[in-house]
Amino acid sequence: MKLLLAPAVVVLAVFAAALGALFRWSFLEFIPGSLRPGGLTLANFRSVLAPQYLDTVWDTVLLSAATTLLTLVLSYPVAYALARTPSRRARSALLILTLAPFFTGAIVRTYAWVLVLGNAVVTWPVPMLFTERGVLVGLVHFSMPSMILVLAAALSHIDPAYERAAASLGAGPARVFWRVTLPLSMPGIVSGGLIVFAWTLSAFATPELLGGGKVKMIANVVKDLGLDSFNWPGAAAFAMLSLALTLALLVGLGRLTAGRAA
Amino acid sequence: MRARVLTGTLVALLTVPLLVSAASAQNALVVSIWGGNWKDTVEKVVAKPFTAKTGIPVEFEVGGTIDRLAKARVAKGSPLVDLNFTTTHVARLYISDGLYEKLDMAKIPNSKEIAREAFRSEYHLGSWAYVYTVVYRPDLVKEEITKWSDLWNPALKGKIAMPDFDPSHIITIAALMEGGNEVTWQKGEEKLKQLKPSIAAFYSTDAQSQDLMKTGQAPVQVMLSVNAYHLQEQGIAVKIVQPRDYPGIVGIDTMAVMAGTKKADAALQFINFTLSKEIQSELVKALRAGPVNTGASVSPSLAGQPGIFVTPAQWKERGYIMNDEVRAKNLPAWREWFTANIVKK
Repeated sequence: MKLLLAPAVVVLAVFAAALGALFRWSFLEFIPGSLRPGGLTLANFRSVLAPQYLDTVWDTVLLSAATTLLTLVLSYPVAYALARTPSRRARSALLILTLAPFFTGAIVRTYAWVLVLGNAVVTWPVPMLFTERGVLVGLVHFSMPSMILVLAAALSHIDPAYERAAASLGAGPARVFWRVTLPLSMPGIVSGGLIVFAWTLSAFATPELLGGGKVKMIANVVKDLGLDSFNWPGAAAFAMLSLALTLALLVGLGRLTAGRAA
Repeated sequence: MRARVLTGTLVALLTVPLLVSAASAQNALVVSIWGGNWKDTVEKVVAKPFTAKTGIPVEFEVGGTIDRLAKARVAKGSPLVDLNFTTTHVARLYISDGLYEKLDMAKIPNSKEIAREAFRSEYHLGSWAYVYTVVYRPDLVKEEITKWSDLWNPALKGKIAMPDFDPSHIITIAALMEGGNEVTWQKGEEKLKQLKPSIAAFYSTDAQSQDLMKTGQAPVQVMLSVNAYHLQEQGIAVKIVQPRDYPGIVGIDTMAVMAGTKKADAALQFINFTLSKEIQSELVKALRAGPVNTGASVSPSLAGQPGIFVTPAQWKERGYIMNDEVRAKNLPAWREWFTANIVKK
């Protein structure tokens, strides 16, 4: 058993070392025009607490929450069909359609959305490309396959006999869904929601390309600070702050939903 | 026995290419440069004839400006590459961190023929030039654009794109319009804020800039002249403006020898070769960038076009060169201000 633990410890040690380096850099002074950092300082944390960075954090959280909610609503019927369709062929077809986006690269998919949202394929009544709406569409599309798979797994564990029993006692389809299926699928909803929320919090390529540089999420700002402004200590501080926020949000959401999922 | 022979043969077949490659890498001059067209052109126009002339093989390490800078910093003292191409202001960061070696000008005789603007420091020399200027698609924009101030025309609302990774160009232009410059850039702040409603998007790569132009999503751009010429070659009818009010903002890519390299002599030979009239003439043709050797031959259709300076007067009048050090130092503050006031919704 100890032998099996060794590789895990090595991998974790590498991650811990990288995180440690990031932590250290976040406390080093940034000197504009130089690659060499100065001495220890708290100035980086003061800088990233400026309104423009806090706005980015708030926008990211809102966009992630909206993505999670929309993904959940759109994925549920597909997952339900995937779990309950009696025909094996139909299930296979649905599964292939669900997984298809995984077989194309993220950048290719994003560029496809640039064409669709840019009125080249569909004419939208309101501007979509280079707006938060457009970024939301892209994020939902990327998140749906994961959400569908998690929900389908949860739904397939619900014995259809419960639904039949509720129907035989006089409950209509809507009531059966609301009182039986939905509560029993809560573990899948919570897991899928947490996965999509955490995933979206760290989104980079979608806001970069579909947002046209106007929609900034946390990862984009870290890249801007580190790679465009050469402010590596600032980027490290913002990354640490975001990491702490992500952990806090996920722990909070996990606790909030733990009772419901049980 | 047969199995041993077979194994031996297989091992030999597998290891010989590795050994050959290792030996070649040991002798080769390793050049760090951007990928895509930049690397392909330098390989074809400079490296191959250089190897044919000197017998020194050349290998390339490609990557983005900052990736390569980060790698160089990590490998400080025993560099992974011998010679580096980067923009002149980013080169300042290499210099400040002791990553470049002072150039022995006696070993670069062709440096006597280059424009004085190409002498960026005793560590790095220009290899070619270009401008960031206004580029637009006349088929999608009715208004004629002839100067920087035309960007402020309300008719261009929602049509302009510009780089957000480096807003130096438009910040400097706005400052120049208000009587300032890159040092007193704050003078242009209010002017630049007026441009905000006209900006459709910000781009972070050359490819993104070209896509925005091709698809017409941003038919007016503050764009790298080299990319605009590239679009023209692809059949996209873009007009590259030689602004009448203020010059284009000059960009100079530079070459330098990495500190600690064991192939400094070969690197200096390569720099000298790149600066020769013949190679500079070929580079203009291939890149549509301005030559730094004042004796390079440039076709009449290109001479004097935006970013292609062939006389000292053109260098002076048609291009504004920012102070590299000021630019390197101010960039973080510019980006912060730009993000907060122009990019943010």
